[in-house]
Amino acid sequence: MLKVENITKYYGDFCAVKNLSFEVKPGEIFGLLGVNGAGKTTTFRMIMGLLEPSEGQITLDGQAISYDITDQIGFLTEERSLLTKLTVKEQALFYGALKGMSNNDILKRLDELLDRFEISEYKEKKLKELSKGNQQKIQFIMAILNKPKLLILDEPFSGLDPLNVELFKQEIIRMSKEGSMIIFSSHRMEHVELFCKKIAIIVKGESVLEGYLADIKKEYRKKNILIKGDITKEALLQIKGVYDVVEKSDEFEVKIDSLSVRENVFKEVCKHQNITKFSVEEPSLNEIFVAKVGEVYEK
Amino acid sequence: MRNKLWFLTSVSLKRKIKTKWFLAANILLAIVIVAGINIDTIITTFGGEFDKKTQVYIVDKTGYSYDMIKEGLIASSKGMSENKESSFKVKKVEKTEKEVKKLVDEKDALGMIVTFSETEPIKVKIVSKDYLKTLDASMIKSVLTQVRSSLTLSKMGLTPDQMKEIYKDISIEYTYTKDDVKNGEENEHMIMSTVFPIVILPFFMLTIFLVQMIGAEVNDEKTTRGMEIIISNVSPKTHFFSKVLAGNIFVLGQGLLLFLYAGIGLCIRSFMGGENITGGFASEIGDTINQVMASSIGDKLIYIIPLTLLLMILTFVAYSLLAGVLASMTTNIEDFQQLQTPIMIISLVGYYLSILANVFGGSIFIKICAYIPFISAILAPSLLVLGQFSIVEMLISIILTLVTIFLLIHYGLRIYKVGILNYSSKDLWKKMFKALKN
Repeated sequence: MLKVENITKYYGDFCAVKNLSFEVKPGEIFGLLGVNGAGKTTTFRMIMGLLEPSEGQITLDGQAISYDITDQIGFLTEERSLLTKLTVKEQALFYGALKGMSNNDILKRLDELLDRFEISEYKEKKLKELSKGNQQKIQFIMAILNKPKLLILDEPFSGLDPLNVELFKQEIIRMSKEGSMIIFSSHRMEHVELFCKKIAIIVKGESVLEGYLADIKKEYRKKNILIKGDITKEALLQIKGVYDVVEKSDEFEVKIDSLSVRENVFKEVCKHQNITKFSVEEPSLNEIFVAKVGEVYEK
Repeated sequence: MRNKLWFLTSVSLKRKIKTKWFLAANILLAIVIVAGINIDTIITTFGGEFDKKTQVYIVDKTGYSYDMIKEGLIASSKGMSENKESSFKVKKVEKTEKEVKKLVDEKDALGMIVTFSETEPIKVKIVSKDYLKTLDASMIKSVLTQVRSSLTLSKMGLTPDQMKEIYKDISIEYTYTKDDVKNGEENEHMIMSTVFPIVILPFFMLTIFLVQMIGAEVNDEKTTRGMEIIISNVSPKTHFFSKVLAGNIFVLGQGLLLFLYAGIGLCIRSFMGGENITGGFASEIGDTINQVMASSIGDKLIYIIPLTLLLMILTFVAYSLLAGVLASMTTNIEDFQQLQTPIMIISLVGYYLSILANVFGGSIFIKICAYIPFISAILAPSLLVLGQFSIVEMLISIILTLVTIFLLIHYGLRIYKVGILNYSSKDLWKKMFKALKN
């Protein structure tokens, strides 16, 4: 299990990460979310052992992070971390050896992964000759080459088309099922929602929300009601407790302050004709994220 | 489990060697060195009139100058070497000026019509088809001036023996008061002061090569962010030393290859009989080496060579450490190129000072510079060869370089650890000074 306990990181007087704690168990996919500059990369660097926390500690299966255990960690950085002058095979032999793998194991695993990602023909090609999407695939392959116990994915879907996103998703889920601990970071909340059971939102280096996604959504006060029928936006906005109405293609998304408001909305809707849909929905992660980040900045 | 230091070193070395550029550069170097050593053979092979003797037809209307001119021309073209053949073939003819002109045209020769007047013991008219070779013209002028002097002196009543006395080389006896300066070593010192800057030129070139190579490699890993993956698996210390090791092994190997190419060039020269073509360039090298080995400098080389090699290797290490630290601070190769310029200038200053050391013998400034790490590898051995530096002073230079290496490892590594993961040039120096303090 990965245990991040009260870590704080200062760069001079600037506090990049403040008192951050979370746990990731084997098989779990954990979403670490935050706007640019929130402290995600610093946190990843501390987990990878690239930076020492100013305070707190990080352990993997009870062992403090050191070069003795970084062989068990896979890291996909947000920017390309490939040596573009090398071929795919040379890159794999280099990174694999750094992870303590033998050449035979590296090549066997590389063939397996290239085949799974449908890019076997690029094995002898130089990385700089590959497209952005294929480079991202290779970067992902390099991160999982050693079947890591802990996998850190920082914006893994960057530069990928929907078909390739699907390939990545399958592999991430496969690794999770095989017991890997996965930390996932993305600005695309729909991706996070898809994988992560547990999340933490960090703003200005500090965690503002953390826990199981289902619980967070459940406990989140604001809800959405989807309404389809002969009703106007103005009529909905006049209901007490409704703070916004979003007009979608053939329905309205009514945003309410709390669950108790739904009865007022229902009463108002009943006064109108041809109502075919009235559904109370959990808010999306994106809404929760925007609201939480907004709250901090408003303060 | 692989040793990660040796793994990174071998990967780094392979990346340098297994390139088309390495192969191309070495083929080019080999060709240039081998060709340079055999340049006269190459020029001769392509043809030309390098060994053609100049035929001189002399019409001596004075009746007394032919022998003197012939002797003078043959002697001056042979120079100091007794075994060398003269480049002039001289023949006396009895012809008119018109006939001489015809002969010169037919034989592609040089005609010399020597007459006299009341005031001049000899007056010379030279007939030539084309412009004279510069060397021939200068030798002819010098010989004729000498002949005229002799004739003038003879006219004044001096006997040939008296004239010989006048032209005899002056005998100078040197006495030196300094204990370690011995008679007869002037030539050796002159040879060494000429030879040494040539010997150390590859060191200077390899230093530039080393600095650029380490800088480019560190920057390549930094700019591609591959550094984060590497440093998450090996410590910055291991990474730093792998770059230094690989760089030094590479330049030492490249240095050996340069010597190998020179050796091949000399072998080819001896097989091609190059010394016979130009009158013994190779044998002159051999003579020089023999001359040096026979002198007391030959004995000194027993300690000059190992001390010089030691200082050079240590200086390579110091340069590579400095290059690694500077490269870690920069965020792209352009920044590094700007940072390395002062290093190159310092190295160049050392090279020029080593050439000037012989001109400004005993200069305190040059002597002080010879202790300064980075330039001492070029300067200190030069002074040692010239007798301006003692073994103890050379050892002090080596110790100072060792101290520099220690400081670069101790403090440089602190900068390197922070620098390699820094991608912003904002507050760079502040960050580095902070890293130094930590």
